[in-house]
Amino acid sequence: MIGTADLVAPLQAGDWAFVADNWGYLFGGLLLTIQLTVVSIVLGFLAGFPAGAIEVYGGRYSRGFVRIAGTVLRGTPLVVILIFTFFVFPIGDAFVAALFGLGFRSAAYQSQIFRGTLQSVSEGQMEAARSVGLSKLQAIYYVIVPQALRRSIPGFQNEFTIVLKDTSIAFAIGFAELLTRSFDLFVQRTTAILEVILFVSAIYFVLTFGTNRALDYLQNYYAIPGGDTNE
Amino acid sequence: MSDPLLRIEHLQKSYGDEEVLKDISFEMDEGDADVLIGPSGSGKSTLLRCINRLTEPDGGDIYLDGELTSGPDYDVNDLRREVGMVFQDINLFAHLTAMENVTLGLKRVLGMGEEAAEAKAMAQLEQVGLENKAESYPAELSGGQQQRVGIARALAMDPKLMLFDEPTSSLDPELTGEVVTVMKNLAAEGMTMLVVTHEMGFARSAATQMLFLEGGYLVEQGPPGQLFDDPEKERTREFLRRITEAEAEGTI
Repeated sequence: MIGTADLVAPLQAGDWAFVADNWGYLFGGLLLTIQLTVVSIVLGFLAGFPAGAIEVYGGRYSRGFVRIAGTVLRGTPLVVILIFTFFVFPIGDAFVAALFGLGFRSAAYQSQIFRGTLQSVSEGQMEAARSVGLSKLQAIYYVIVPQALRRSIPGFQNEFTIVLKDTSIAFAIGFAELLTRSFDLFVQRTTAILEVILFVSAIYFVLTFGTNRALDYLQNYYAIPGGDTNE
Repeated sequence: MSDPLLRIEHLQKSYGDEEVLKDISFEMDEGDADVLIGPSGSGKSTLLRCINRLTEPDGGDIYLDGELTSGPDYDVNDLRREVGMVFQDINLFAHLTAMENVTLGLKRVLGMGEEAAEAKAMAQLEQVGLENKAESYPAELSGGQQQRVGIARALAMDPKLMLFDEPTSSLDPELTGEVVTVMKNLAAEGMTMLVVTHEMGFARSAATQMLFLEGGYLVEQGPPGQLFDDPEKERTREFLRRITEAEAEGTI
């Protein structure tokens, strides 16, 4: 029979002290995780938004290129992409390799978020904009995109969370982010694996929870008063 | 005699194998308010959309103020600046206030400054009786109010011609009156307008000519008195009888 003492046994005060002693080291990893998340999301947006727009409004060839690139990126495990950007075609140090791997994979997913929301804005909005004399580009810029971006926030929220958590896959190329540093610690003191990993999990949770609430706030802030008339 | 404001010659349009407009010719003088009627699917909307080239015609010519506008040499954005359109689905820009709906074209198409655009938009909203709704978003307005903003948005560009594509069909019956009133006032002020509608009250009191479209042809045209009371064609009589009955029963 397993007693309560057995269940809590792995959680030792000494191991928690070990976590506390190494807080500075983990904090450095946390900063790198945040940096990598932010630049990857931004790169993903800068490449993914135009890619989504091209899928909706582009010509045959540009659309074909974006579709193929997106399908390849979405169909490849991130760890494989990172092996490509770090070992096969080394484009820089581990940070740069992780940034491009995460960033372009995120672009492939973000393009689908924006493609969907751009298409969800009713055809009548485009027709009304063109009828006033706006060019197609003006209509997209002033009428379609502002509505599509508002509708993109929930999908973007998911994508943000995924990228944040998937920075941990940079562990595979030895980038010293949060998970890699926690690994460095618990191989030094194998009794502290649970303490270290619980602590790191809590950090990931706080980060994802916090950014999701922040995006909720953004969504409410930009919500159209009274609701949306063309859904 | 001056040129007609709008002249359409042998207009033709097909969607795939289906020939929607077979051979349409007519003219409108400046200040005319013509009402286009016909069974559903007869090509009324297509005809309107060919005029501002939301739909490109397949054949025939359209002249606005004596200039050929249906050819590739005429810039569509220039054309649409001169021809306003009001939609059945209203299509207000959902993320913009009533005021911003009106100023967008003024600022981005006509290049007006913020202040001038807002002053112009406010005057236009006053004309449709919505000066106190300038800061409201579309979803905060009733359908009738939304459509009046739609009319103000089109009017603000000072078009030579206004096209109305069933402007009251998506509205609850009790809300059509306010839109029809705005349209009647416009007609009385001399705006040239071509209106697709089932509002026979509007046709009777405001129309210069009524055009009956069926099967891709303009079957008959004439002043409303003539079409209602003494049409030449049996089909016109039949259609108007049915639509007047439906209107009396309140099914439209």
